[in-house]
Amino acid sequence: MSFLSPSHGQSRPVVVHLIDDTTAGGVMRVLDFLTQDPVLGAHARHVLRLCPRGALGNDRIRADVIVSHLAINWRALPGLIGLRARHAACPVIHVEHSYTEAFAALNVPHKRRFHTLLRTAYALFDRVVAVSAAQGAWLSGRNLVAAERLRVIRSCVDLGEFTEVPAPARPRRVIGAIGRLSPQKGFDRLIEAFRKLPDNDVELHVHGEGSERAALEALAEGDPRVRFMGFAGDLAAVYASVDAVAMPSRWEAYGLVALEARAAGRPVLVADVDGLRDHRGAGVLLPGQGGRADLTEGLRDLLAMPDTAAEGRASAARAMADFRTGWAALLSEVCAAPAASVAAA
Amino acid sequence: MHTAPTPAATIVVPAFNVAATLAETVNSLRGQSWRDFEIVIVDDGSTDDTAALAEALRAADPRIRLIRQPNRGLAGARNTGIAAARGRHVGFCDSDDLWAPGKLAAHMAHLDENPMVGLSYSGSAMIDSVSRTMRAAQKPRLNGIDAAHVFRRNPVGNGSAAVIRRAALDAIAWRPAHETERDWVFDETFRQSEDIECWLRLALTTDWDLAGVPGLLTCYRIARGGLSAATDRQFEAWERMVAKLTPLAPDFFARHAPAARAYQLRYLARRAISDADGPRARRLLRAMRHASMRPYYEEPLKSCVTHVAAHIIDRPAGRALRAIARV
Repeated sequence: MSFLSPSHGQSRPVVVHLIDDTTAGGVMRVLDFLTQDPVLGAHARHVLRLCPRGALGNDRIRADVIVSHLAINWRALPGLIGLRARHAACPVIHVEHSYTEAFAALNVPHKRRFHTLLRTAYALFDRVVAVSAAQGAWLSGRNLVAAERLRVIRSCVDLGEFTEVPAPARPRRVIGAIGRLSPQKGFDRLIEAFRKLPDNDVELHVHGEGSERAALEALAEGDPRVRFMGFAGDLAAVYASVDAVAMPSRWEAYGLVALEARAAGRPVLVADVDGLRDHRGAGVLLPGQGGRADLTEGLRDLLAMPDTAAEGRASAARAMADFRTGWAALLSEVCAAPAASVAAA
Repeated sequence: MHTAPTPAATIVVPAFNVAATLAETVNSLRGQSWRDFEIVIVDDGSTDDTAALAEALRAADPRIRLIRQPNRGLAGARNTGIAAARGRHVGFCDSDDLWAPGKLAAHMAHLDENPMVGLSYSGSAMIDSVSRTMRAAQKPRLNGIDAAHVFRRNPVGNGSAAVIRRAALDAIAWRPAHETERDWVFDETFRQSEDIECWLRLALTTDWDLAGVPGLLTCYRIARGGLSAATDRQFEAWERMVAKLTPLAPDFFARHAPAARAYQLRYLARRAISDADGPRARRLLRAMRHASMRPYYEEPLKSCVTHVAAHIIDRPAGRALRAIARV
């Protein structure tokens, strides 16, 4: 069977995607796209299967390919070994949505033990998918995954609605910070850097909720230009309401917000870290690793950047095509289908 | 003229007005038991005889390359050397320090056999202005180094102790907006604490290991006099480093900065003591106790010796002890 030829009708292979945490917004949205995209669906039937924390169960999953989007930790390891053992003949792929070099640097006290965990877990899979080239370079550079089993497929969501958002106004006035309010996202340093901008007519809109809200509000205290907009329900409307996007994350496997911002024709500032480096290109600004001063300078540059909405949108369209091609090629490869020319959508 | 083959290692020697010591430094590098390396001397706008001396050294050994630039400071000279370096590992030797003959070989083996290690360092012996070995030495912990240990104890110790894997240098390089020539690895806005800023940034933003090899393989020169006067500026630079890196990991700095500050102040107090500057040493120790008492119960012996020394160094007992120590 080939995943690259047109529809198989009932003969389409079944790809079961396992997920244990539905609260991680980004991962869920990637899975929505994987399972609902008609182009991907023409080649394979993508099914989502929830297995709440550790509960992989003992039954055999009826699938032609199993794809794990599960969190990897020591507690999950026995379950993963069981999964592998019960499906010895079925290709099992893992997509690494979480771990990155900067994550390890900032959060892992015992790196050797952590690397051992990852090496052990990844060895169970036929393929491991990195969600950015930068993450892939880390996984192979630290010998966590053998090169022949590693593939890079940058994460993607359905960008259609974002490409229809009207181009941002000039001069740019509103910077958007979009994401969970957690230390990972670095909105604390964004607020501090933003407060150093002297301009009275610029605003920083923080879209999202999370554990850090009170701390961030305290940082913004006394500066009415910083506004907390709450949970970002209608994302297209959020992008329409901002003129530029800032994403100074401390670690990030890929960074969907940067991709969506590009699709919406918004210039975006990203931290020079992990998968955010994959967004390098027109309309994307990567200030140096310096301190607060660099970020303030970066925000000033972001507001003054030339208009690159068209290039940004084009690069986002390519990202969608690459995602579909990447998954089709991977599935076809693990099922040992004869190579065929890739019909990118 | 044939093109030299790519060397396995590069040793970067930043040189600013060091005519008195450059030849001794470079000779200690030429005498390394590991033979496959190049030396990149970066003449950082010297105004003494350094330029002529460096040229003579270059003419005498094809492994030496010489780059001249208008003065950019130590960090700027090192960055230029890194940009020119061709080795898979890059070492640094400031132009008044010396390397023991087996140093490069030890670090090359360490880095080549341990693919997770990004920065390899060794302990250092201290030498005085005429290259006599002093009693004091830097004997850091060699393994199990995390970012907190780098911050608190700086096991790398000085700017001539580290040999760094090219990939680790690339991981922390960046290009400031106003920079047109080459990337920065060391932050050129720092005139002091540029070393620890770089090591700590490596520990906080990458997962390369920092690890040491046994032995005192670097001779780190302590110039007597005038040193303790610089402690205030040195502490200012250290605090600036903390302010710069805090946004990377606020929780980390909230937890570790007090103890790290105390250790930094104790280190500066010891510098003041070796300069016989009692009042300054006592002031630094008071500031240390104000920051954190941790050095007293984590390293009681060294802290108490420092405490006593600071109180007697400019009194008769201290002067007598110094006279004995000099013999």
